[in-house]
Amino acid sequence: MIRIGILSVAHGHAHSYVSCLKRIDGVQVVGVADEDEARGASFAERHGIPRFATPEALLAEGLDGVVICAANAHHRPLTELAARHTRHILCEKPIATTLADAEAMIAACERAGAKLQIAFPVRFAPPVVQLQELLRSGALGQVYSLKTTNHGQMPGGWFIDRELSGGGAVIDHTVHVIDLLRWFFDAEVTEVFAEVGESLLHDGLGIDDAGMLSFTLSNGAYGTLDTSWSRPASFPTWGDVTIEVVAERGWARLDAFKERLAVYSDRVGKAQWVGWGGDMDLGLMRDFVAMIAEGRAPSITGHDGLKALEVALAAYESAARGEPVALPLSSGA
Amino acid sequence: MGSWHAERWKALPVELAGFYDADRTRAEALAARFGGQVFGSLDELLDRCEIADICTPPTEHAQATIAAARAGRHVVCEKPIARHLADARAMIEACESAGVRLFVAHVVRFFPEFARAKEVVESGALGRLGVVRTIRGGARPSRTAWFADVAQSGGVILDVGIHDIDYLRWVCGDVERVFARGLTFRGLEVDHALITLRFASGAIGHIEASWAFPAGNFRTFIELAGTGGMLVHDSDEARPLKVQYHADGPAATPPHVASLENDPWFRELQHFLQTLDGGVEPLVTPHDAFAALRIALAAIESVRTGKPVDVATFEEAL
Repeated sequence: MIRIGILSVAHGHAHSYVSCLKRIDGVQVVGVADEDEARGASFAERHGIPRFATPEALLAEGLDGVVICAANAHHRPLTELAARHTRHILCEKPIATTLADAEAMIAACERAGAKLQIAFPVRFAPPVVQLQELLRSGALGQVYSLKTTNHGQMPGGWFIDRELSGGGAVIDHTVHVIDLLRWFFDAEVTEVFAEVGESLLHDGLGIDDAGMLSFTLSNGAYGTLDTSWSRPASFPTWGDVTIEVVAERGWARLDAFKERLAVYSDRVGKAQWVGWGGDMDLGLMRDFVAMIAEGRAPSITGHDGLKALEVALAAYESAARGEPVALPLSSGA
Repeated sequence: MGSWHAERWKALPVELAGFYDADRTRAEALAARFGGQVFGSLDELLDRCEIADICTPPTEHAQATIAAARAGRHVVCEKPIARHLADARAMIEACESAGVRLFVAHVVRFFPEFARAKEVVESGALGRLGVVRTIRGGARPSRTAWFADVAQSGGVILDVGIHDIDYLRWVCGDVERVFARGLTFRGLEVDHALITLRFASGAIGHIEASWAFPAGNFRTFIELAGTGGMLVHDSDEARPLKVQYHADGPAATPPHVASLENDPWFRELQHFLQTLDGGVEPLVTPHDAFAALRIALAAIESVRTGKPVDVATFEEAL
């Protein structure tokens, strides 16, 4: 039996992750520890798992691994703590709010001999896997351009508290797509120019809710990434991940969650898109469990998390300076 | 565009005087199809008309427009207003001093879906706009060689992107800064650009302009997101009639325009005539056309240099 604990459920993905873990044979969700007692209790009740008063108490149970779904700024202390007690850590994205924190997390895990995986579930969405295989096959020839989006609704809560999140839409929504591009091409982002807007879509928000990155990759392609929280509350779903490729021999257009039903319910009062595609969160959890069971290296490393974060931080820097920013950023930036 | 406009002029209450083209056979072909005379020179044509409709490549807009203005003729000129800012300035001055109308055919403002989207914005339903996106693209044009020559056409940004630059400027106001990456200077058969705009309002814009899509994929797209909501148009989804035949069926026929009232080019030229009668203000001013040209040229400069370009202070290095 593989025993897994949940460290913080500040990020709503924790609900889906636990539901998925409970569907995997040979996995036991040992319990949850959350800094907010009421939230932790409600989470424990909903998923029928024990609640622990502190992370230390949960870690004392002798876990094979933990899933950290804390607010971004808490990833580092929880990871450093977990690394002293367990061998396998899955940490929600973005890895951290600063490169220094990300580097410290990676170093702490290395010192303790713990494996650190970053939760980039979109790698496990079946249409994304198909696009990855298509691009790696070379069928499209040289890739010229990658027009991408990771739009969302404004999430509220700690996501708009800079101390906890490290930033708004740009840090929230840069990392997924950048991780995919790095994975597709084994390439790095070499330059970023960004237009970033605060309170552009939500009056008085006080944090960036609009971001438009223009980047180049080390394989010669250029592209853009729209990270904006531009989906209104009345939009039929949370947001999107899209990637449109223009290449030498043709094009490819991915709308990762287009496998969906349109639902019109008078009870809800707005149209809704209900997805029926393969469950990417289940894919991520199976991968994490397989890493533990097989003793293999993480498929998505702390370094992957750091490189995706670096692009978001470069975007903020570019917006502040009004000019393109070259990567890699100097360490500790 | 000449035959495209001529077909619409035929449906409007004007007399089609005729055609002039440096290549006389092209003028003859149009006259055979639409009626009217074939003129041996631009001056002959200007002697015999009240309105000159200029559909030359943009490098030749200035010469024809200035000649028309001096002859006292109103001018309809294809977009972009010119290939270069200096030409555009000279055209505007010539028309102003001659007291003739200069109307640059930014036809996107007359597309029903684009016009209706602007109405939705003005209704307040979307609140204050924050992030706006457009797509306009298809395969590279094969009809005429000058499109492929950046020196003449300005490439995909000046020929295609300028449509959405003008439209978004109409919807969101002036543009302060532009940044763009693209294929324009790579010497490829295709051209493509991703353009980022920062409006004076603070709003952020994104335009994809493409001559790099596989054939049969012409697409337009608008997404306008604001503090109160969001609007989306996708031409891929806006096909009320689809027809496909079995392999042994007839050859596919292009759809014809459902109604003249909704035909953008008809609406555009009809509007132009109404501005001549007085009482209707032109929807596109020469200043609008000049501003769109400046933003487009700034975007091309950004592709060339890899740097953001401040639009207000941008001048071409000629």
